[in-house]
Amino acid sequence: MIFSKTLLDRCISCGYCLPACPTYAMTGDEASSPRGRISLMRALETGHLEDDDPTLAEQASFCLGCRACEPVCPAGVEYGNLLEEWRDHQWSGRRSPLPARLLMALVSRSWLVRAQGLVRRHARTVTSASGPSLMLGCVERGLFPRVSHAARKLAPGLSVPKRQGCCGALHAHNGDSGTGERMAKSLGDALPGTIVTTSGGCAAHLAAHVGRPRVRELSEYLVEHDHLPSGRLLVDGRVARVALQDSCHLRNGLGISRQPRELIRAVAEYVELPSAGACCGAAGTYSILRPRESGEILSVKIDEIEAAEVDFVVAVNPGCLRQLKTGLRKRGSRVRAVHLAELLVIVPR
Amino acid sequence: MALDRDFAGALADVVGAGHVHQAPGDLAVYARDATPLFHQVPDAVVFPATTEQVARVLRLATAHRVPVVPRGAGSNLCAATVPVRGGIVLALTRMTQILEISTDELLARVQPGVTTARLADAATARNLLYAPDPGSRTTATVGGNIATCAGGLRGLKYGVTRNYVLGLEAVLPTGEVVRTGGRLWKDVAGYDLTRLLTGSEGTLAVITEATVALLPAPAESNTGVAYFESLTEASRAVGAIISAGIVPATLEFLDRKCVAVVEEYAGLGLRLDAGALLLFGEDGPLATVAANMLRMRQICAETGALEVTVAEDIVRSEALLAARRCSLPALSRLGSLTVLEDVTVPRPRMPEMVGRIDEIADRFDLQIATFGHAGDGNLHPTCVLDPDDEDAVGRVHKAFAEVFRAAIRLDGTITGEHGVGSAKLPFLADRLGATQLGLLRRIKTAFDPAGILNPGKLGS
Ligand SMILES: Cc1cc2nc3c(=O)[nH]c(=O)nc-3n(C[C@H](O)[C@H](O)[C@H](O)COP(=O)(O)OP(=O)(O)OC[C@H]3O[C@@H](n4cnc5c(N)ncnc54)[C@H](O)[C@@H]3O)c2cc1C
Ligand code: SF4
Ligand code: SF4
Repeated sequence: MIFSKTLLDRCISCGYCLPACPTYAMTGDEASSPRGRISLMRALETGHLEDDDPTLAEQASFCLGCRACEPVCPAGVEYGNLLEEWRDHQWSGRRSPLPARLLMALVSRSWLVRAQGLVRRHARTVTSASGPSLMLGCVERGLFPRVSHAARKLAPGLSVPKRQGCCGALHAHNGDSGTGERMAKSLGDALPGTIVTTSGGCAAHLAAHVGRPRVRELSEYLVEHDHLPSGRLLVDGRVARVALQDSCHLRNGLGISRQPRELIRAVAEYVELPSAGACCGAAGTYSILRPRESGEILSVKIDEIEAAEVDFVVAVNPGCLRQLKTGLRKRGSRVRAVHLAELLVIVPR
Repeated sequence: MALDRDFAGALADVVGAGHVHQAPGDLAVYARDATPLFHQVPDAVVFPATTEQVARVLRLATAHRVPVVPRGAGSNLCAATVPVRGGIVLALTRMTQILEISTDELLARVQPGVTTARLADAATARNLLYAPDPGSRTTATVGGNIATCAGGLRGLKYGVTRNYVLGLEAVLPTGEVVRTGGRLWKDVAGYDLTRLLTGSEGTLAVITEATVALLPAPAESNTGVAYFESLTEASRAVGAIISAGIVPATLEFLDRKCVAVVEEYAGLGLRLDAGALLLFGEDGPLATVAANMLRMRQICAETGALEVTVAEDIVRSEALLAARRCSLPALSRLGSLTVLEDVTVPRPRMPEMVGRIDEIADRFDLQIATFGHAGDGNLHPTCVLDPDDEDAVGRVHKAFAEVFRAAIRLDGTITGEHGVGSAKLPFLADRLGATQLGLLRRIKTAFDPAGILNPGKLGS
């Protein structure tokens, strides 16, 4: 048994999910659609396809894992969970892609994760026995240490406990959901009270393992606690124009898309990108594993951002932020990509 | 069975090697469509990009006597795209251009792989309406809609796909390209091949371009909900609405089970305690919409509705319609095998048909939920069961055979919009009789002498 039977059985092949899938849009090939991938999983489960079947290997890595197929499925197919089970099998041990294996090895060493954060100076640790706790995130504390400072400024009540490791989302999405689950649980134990995270991907993964009620993504937390910023963000003497790139897991996994928009609207002129809800191609390790496809998706996104004539594009997930920054830099664009928390703290009060 | 090497090579020369798929995994995903219980792996999947490529593929296939199954989104519910005799699945999902939208001629010209929703949105953007509105509109292709003559949620007032096809470009199995009809509303030169190809389920020719009629967009539209004790009561209200001289844009019903699953997915705040829900809607000039919505509310109340409400705005109205569209997949929340059927009876016989379905479900000890396009007398009894329960699967086949017979006996038909495909071929003779079936076969031979196009379906 590779898959939970109840998960796999749920799909009735109606094809409702096809138009939501970015990889199907690229190829028009059933194999790269959610329904087709579920057919592949079934063929694997029943032994009609061999473990080393090239289509299985190709599609397991071609899928972005963006879960855009989930909210549009009326039957309630939990594709994200199916994908985790599939990759657990497909990428077990040595068959997992090398770059993913290296990254996973890095982030599971929690001293290393902590060390890089200290070198890069994330928010100072502040302990409290009851929370709410700010989660630092493994990638974010290294790449974007300013985000945790900003989050603390926006919600000063947050404690920042020491000894935080990684939540294991990276493992779960790359063929090792067992480790992913263990890491999430142990992080849950290390962070008292409600866990506030500044990363959409971590939020969805944590919620799946420590329970939805304990997890709040920053924008959700700020809106719930009425921490709506006031003031106006100005650029060249006019109100700034700001777009948002949704985090796939936040939008499709947790159903959060209204809150970040509400926060932006409170301080700036909000501009909706036509494909704000569609994946930017970062997709965890995707930009490393499938640079060509990732770049293709990103390029459309950057076109849209340029056409929207915005001053800032906001991300709510470190991977997306990095992806957008790279894309904009390559184009020599004047648009700045920032994390939502960073945007909100630069607003003059 | 793998394709002959020379033949596969020749196909690759036509469409490019990357567009001929023959790996087991790539074939496995084309073994089925949205029809449960039917499954057959093809020998190759070919993705043409132009009419010329389609023609060359068909010429090769005829020469080699290899079956070809045209396929759009594979959302049909009658195993119409299952390659029952193997061969090639010809996937038209790369031909996705909207070639033209003409506001003064009120028409659009599109390639077959364009989805219905994309065409409809493009029309809306120019303040026009593409009227056919199948529940699967976001997924299904215009080519597939035409090949199945799809109906939908606006069928009563606006008719089905057939009423909107002005002209087609199609490739015959011999590789000849024909252009039927054209851009005109009035054109009676020759047999009406446009209509013959519409609903031909990919057995006569491959549609490579379609010219479809558009209408001016209605100024206003609205949708309301009425709850009833039972589907029978709701169908009486339907009769009363039509007898009152109203031809509403929407008249759809759902029974209790459907309402429950749709509510679970869409979270609209629908009432779960009623036996049936009737969705009624109107579009047109503001005054007409207001007047007809009011009349329909009154009629529902008079015929015993438990509660009647009207959508407060267009967003809510759209949400109600969207919820209705997804009833089939939502039903699978009740169990993992969902067998949906599609019968139509004259509208006055609908209460009887609903009663017959209930009785048959009881007799075979099955859970059958029913929803449908009430305005057209088009019902979708849907059975939800456990696929591992072989006995139940056997009973489903028998029960639906009786449902079809019951529909025919009530002067109805075995399919109102989904088509015959492979799934209903065994019942076609009951509906058409031997003489007509013979004629169908002779027509098939005239188009497809080698019998390569979608064999095992219509005309076989
Ligand atoms: C959730 C759901 C709701 C639905 N609601 C409705 C509804 O309200 N009304 C309705 O009528 N149907 C409905 N359907 C059925 C289905 O969506 C329609 O039959 C649709 O028209 C099929 O389009 P497709 O592109 O998926 O075609 P396919 O399923 O790919 O093909 C259908 C048939 O058309 C042929 N075909 C496809 N493209 C071409 C072409 N270019 N040239 C020649 N032949 C071709 C195929 O060979 C096959 O015989 C629904 C299905 C689902 C899953
Ligand atoms: S995943 Fe959901 S939407 Fe997609 S084919 Fe399966 S049931 Fe339909
Ligand atoms: S997760 Fe994203 S890319 Fe993968 S099948 Fe679903 S929609 Fe497509």
